[in-house]
Amino acid sequence: MAASELTPQPLEGSKPLSALLNGIAQAAYYGNADITEELLRGQLYPESASEEFRALRAKMGGLLQSIASADMDLNQLEAFLTAQTKKQGGITSDQAAVIAKFWKNHRIKIHESLINQSCWDNILKNMNWRVDLKSQSRHVDQINTPVALVEMELGKNGQESEFLCLEFDEAKVSQMLKKLSEIEESMTLLTQTT
Amino acid sequence: AADKINLIPQDFFAELCEQIIQHLNHKIPGVDTAELCQRIQTSGIEINVGDLAKIADVVSFLFSTAARNSLSTEELVTTLGNAVTALPKHAVQVIRHVWNEHGKSISVSEDARNMATLGQFVDIKWKLGVAMSSDTCRSLKYPYVTVMLKVADPSGQITDKSFEMTIPQFKNFFRQFKEMAAVLETV
Repeated sequence: MAASELTPQPLEGSKPLSALLNGIAQAAYYGNADITEELLRGQLYPESASEEFRALRAKMGGLLQSIASADMDLNQLEAFLTAQTKKQGGITSDQAAVIAKFWKNHRIKIHESLINQSCWDNILKNMNWRVDLKSQSRHVDQINTPVALVEMELGKNGQESEFLCLEFDEAKVSQMLKKLSEIEESMTLLTQTT
Repeated sequence: AADKINLIPQDFFAELCEQIIQHLNHKIPGVDTAELCQRIQTSGIEINVGDLAKIADVVSFLFSTAARNSLSTEELVTTLGNAVTALPKHAVQVIRHVWNEHGKSISVSEDARNMATLGQFVDIKWKLGVAMSSDTCRSLKYPYVTVMLKVADPSGQITDKSFEMTIPQFKNFFRQFKEMAAVLETV
């Protein structure tokens, strides 16, 4: 960290607030459990008292949570933050500016993280494939036909994976492609109507 | 497994044996134990997929061994009687009948040993949904597709594997299969 960032700043300073928001996001959305309240206070607001800092962290955390939960666009964000500046015990317009800048930079990533957090079924973690020429087979007519060998890693987020190894001949790949086209068509219809 | 066979009604057991024969004849990629089990359960019988799969394995092994040794129906029934004392009469009847009809047609060559070590893709079912909101996010609004792959494992059992994909993940999945098709064509 640069020397200037170590210099204690008044609680309303923009650099520490930006870093604080980052720290809050690390813990809440990016799965970084090491970023504790104590660490943040020591690094960013060392002059502040525990209670004072706790209140600040809670307030900022709450605001970020509201913004993330509603996945606010710029208009909604502006309206929201303006309302917060007018509230009793709300935020200053400097703080509002810092929060706005932070959200603009992190919105997509935080939203993605929230999506992942609510996916509790198996996902396709990875997929590898190669094409072989079958030289031995249970049917004579299958010799020297190309076949795709696909390995799919399936599993739930944060849990052990199952490796599914499948064989696809040309016909099976066509069958798969046909079904995948159907899915794509439906997806297009869906995104057109929303 | 033999005592579980007791639970299966004759017509379902016959269906199971027919599917096993078809699989051994390479007419179908595998035995759909999950689907069959569901129908058996619907008729009121309490049997789980695991048990049915074990029974299918045993019967499959029985038939393929018999085919390899070119056993006649009587020889098969005798061997069965010696090996498994607790088989219910109706099961033996079914095995006898199925073997009479189809025993000769099972072609067992060295390929019984060259079994595929990979599963076979059978079919894919899909469903498109939109996750609207959750306890951590009121405005999720993301579409995702849930896919159910029907897969025949090397032993011939058909199982279902399901997983979810977001739109970008799906696009990548689709792209990979298109690439596969292109390569298969050029090889």
